[in-house]
Amino acid sequence: MLKPHRVVLDKVSSYTDEAAAFMRRRRHQRREFVRIRFQSGAESDLPVDGAGARRISEAARRLIELG
Amino acid sequence: MADTNRKTSGPGPDNPGPQAALVDAAARVLENLAELEPELVNAGIFDRNLEAVCVTSASPDWPKQAVALLEALDSSSGEEVFDSAHIAETDGEVFAVTEEGLSLVAVTGRFVLASLTSYDMRMALRDAARAASSSGDVEPLDNGENGGSEDA
Repeated sequence: MLKPHRVVLDKVSSYTDEAAAFMRRRRHQRREFVRIRFQSGAESDLPVDGAGARRISEAARRLIELG
Repeated sequence: MADTNRKTSGPGPDNPGPQAALVDAAARVLENLAELEPELVNAGIFDRNLEAVCVTSASPDWPKQAVALLEALDSSSGEEVFDSAHIAETDGEVFAVTEEGLSLVAVTGRFVLASLTSYDMRMALRDAARAASSSGDVEPLDNGENGGSEDA
């Protein structure tokens, strides 16, 4: 039989694991990106801190705000 | 999102605007697209000169921002020819697809099925281009620049 403090430790660690997984999922889901596909079939994820991606994101954000 | 705003300024000697058949076809395919995509917020179709053919948003700034987006996408494509784009922001997503000389920009909610949305948009553009071409009012749109990919 497990000692009582082991049970508590297991419980706490399982909760923290769940919380960490939730935060990872949330971070991933809130990730912003700009993905362009070209006629050649190539695809490019623009670096979010680049000038091109910033310009595209800005226009997209305004469109979303306008509804 | 059933209301569509035909953004033509009317035919005239100085500004013939997009052809009437194309405008009607664009309005129809945007309504169909709204039925297919429950998360669709607004959408607009633009011709090869980036003039709005038909948009669903009532905001006068919407077409301007959509054109700014298309120009930014084009300039960011470098030597490649821009075909489609998917931009995810925290409050929504924006899709842009070019096909047969037409461009469709759509704003959707977050976490839509990207490939399905792009496919529906491409089919909508093909439908609009086909309807406009078959009416005889519009010359068939070539498959040259911005002709779209064949794999959708």
